[in-house]
Amino acid sequence: MQSGTQARKYRLQGAGLDLALPYLMLAPGLMIVLGVLVYPLLDGLKASTRTYRYGSPISDVGLQNYVHLWSDAQFLNSLWVTVKFVALSVSIEAVLGFALALFCLREFRGIRLLRTVLIIPMVITPVVVAIVFRLIYASDAGMLTALSEAMGGGAMQILGNPLNAFIGLVVLDVWEWTPLMFLILLAGLQSLPQEPFEAARVDGAGAWRVFADLTFPMMRPVLAVAIVLRTIDAFGTFDQVFVLTRGGPGEATRLVSIYGYDTAFKFQQTGYAAALFVTIGLVVLALAFSAIRLLRRIDAS
Amino acid sequence: MSSVLYKSVVKNFGALNVLRSLDLAVPDHKFLALLGPSGCGKTTALRILAGLDMPSAGKVFIGERDVTRLQPRDRDIAMVFQSYALYPQMTVAENISYPLWIRGTPDIERKVKIGEVAAVLEIGHLLDRRPRQLSGGQRQRVALARAIVRDPAAFLMDEPLSNLDARLRLTMRGEIKRLCQRLGATTIYVTHDQVEALTMADLVAVMHGGELQQMAPPIDIYDRPANRFVATFVGNPPMNILPVTLADNGVRAGGKIVPLERTRFFACRLAEIVEIGLRPEDCSVAQHDAPDVLPGEIYVVEPMGNETLVNVRLDGGNVSVRAGRDFRGAVGENIGVAFDAANACFFNSVGITAVHRVNSNGREK
Repeated sequence: MQSGTQARKYRLQGAGLDLALPYLMLAPGLMIVLGVLVYPLLDGLKASTRTYRYGSPISDVGLQNYVHLWSDAQFLNSLWVTVKFVALSVSIEAVLGFALALFCLREFRGIRLLRTVLIIPMVITPVVVAIVFRLIYASDAGMLTALSEAMGGGAMQILGNPLNAFIGLVVLDVWEWTPLMFLILLAGLQSLPQEPFEAARVDGAGAWRVFADLTFPMMRPVLAVAIVLRTIDAFGTFDQVFVLTRGGPGEATRLVSIYGYDTAFKFQQTGYAAALFVTIGLVVLALAFSAIRLLRRIDAS
Repeated sequence: MSSVLYKSVVKNFGALNVLRSLDLAVPDHKFLALLGPSGCGKTTALRILAGLDMPSAGKVFIGERDVTRLQPRDRDIAMVFQSYALYPQMTVAENISYPLWIRGTPDIERKVKIGEVAAVLEIGHLLDRRPRQLSGGQRQRVALARAIVRDPAAFLMDEPLSNLDARLRLTMRGEIKRLCQRLGATTIYVTHDQVEALTMADLVAVMHGGELQQMAPPIDIYDRPANRFVATFVGNPPMNILPVTLADNGVRAGGKIVPLERTRFFACRLAEIVEIGLRPEDCSVAQHDAPDVLPGEIYVVEPMGNETLVNVRLDGGNVSVRAGRDFRGAVGENIGVAFDAANACFFNSVGITAVHRVNSNGREK
């Protein structure tokens, strides 16, 4: 009798721990997420409704910061530069990445080495990449100038010329992030079923028709995910620009991230900068959602 | 002209020798089944004919044309794949008409063709769907429709029924056979299922270890197997094989002397036969002490409904016997196996059939 009660007690104790255990094990991770993700987000939202002086909030201004953004010519220009930069880089990366992935799908001697080499740019720290490109672009001792002089030309003005600096930035981004596109698209291509492609060859399709009628339609979801990922990422580009041009010359390469950084740390307008970044966040979120919805619609039809 | 000819075709994958010199001729308008266990090279042979793989040596002809070095699209063939290989992003109608569309067939003609083949395969109501909205059987029909829409010189089918459930497989088996007879085009049908091969084909080519074992009409494959492999691979349950030694005017098998007709006995002696092959339906159960029966004991009894399979352990090995549906017996019981030696075939020491059965008639007992 006594041992029966004892056994029930143990079982209850065990059950209690079993119920609590999942929450106990989740707790540390949850705390970290709350501390480093949720709290800063909420604090940033709060900051975006205030005015700061000497680093301390002095007044609540409601949504005034947000309203002011849309009449700020510098912000609008930086937004335009960012959109141009993102559209240009991401589309070039998508096309190049797709082409490389298609090429690397074949099996031949040395293909593994080639695939590995193609990933390297992505692995290098962005600041280091920017420093290297600064050396390449430098008008006095840069690689391009050296090349140009060797062929009898003059010094190359890359970072000093607004258009060239912008193009230089796009080239840097393409060099660094095409590998990511390549990697995602290669994985996507490798996961496609083989038989439809063989069936198409038997049915009479040449290489181009196979691509247009099978590969591309079947890859559309993967391509969309890769583009959305890269777009979100490219909107936040900061380190490379900061090292390469700091947004110059003039405002030619001043992306919103640089403008926001300047606003917050150079001009000490913390509240305004917070509002700016919240706005950009919402814009990117909206872009991503609409891209995914568009994709679903295409798939469903 | 759409006969198909393999001339000493060899295929190696690295060090792996998948096809060792395949010579095979399929006459025009015939349905050939390439039959064999997994890894025997049958699918490789088909892919070489399709142009999806290149032979390491040898030549392939379709009609009078040497197609060995041609692209698949220039060979005038259609292929049905085991996994159907439909184009996932296209509707059923687009799938079916793709071979025509790619060749620039005018819209109107294409519409008519789609209507025709859809009617033949009874998929007219599915034309606007996409492959993923179809069941396995429907996908199979679409794949067939895509193959027949273009009147190719030859149809290639790579285990088209393997992904269907057993019941559907039976139905589709009959339908594909009807379809191919109606179209009258040369068909090469790869399968590992001997029932499919025997029931559907005009000619069966049995392959093993990258080599052609025998090519013959189904009934000859069954009754006059060229060797031990064909004998045991075809038939369900497979042919019984027992070791034999020559004795006076007969052979000694299962502990008894089985008398043989004089000419067959001499043929056996000349060929130095070592084994006897007996189809289960050529054997019958008898009293174990009756004269001229091989005595043994019951090993397994499998009632099939229409008949009973009795596996009997004899001196020298087990044999399966097809017995009547009302057969009753317990495991371990003594039983005898009776057969007519005229229905037996004999193999020599390298497994070649040296002496065939006398006739294929008289099987009905």
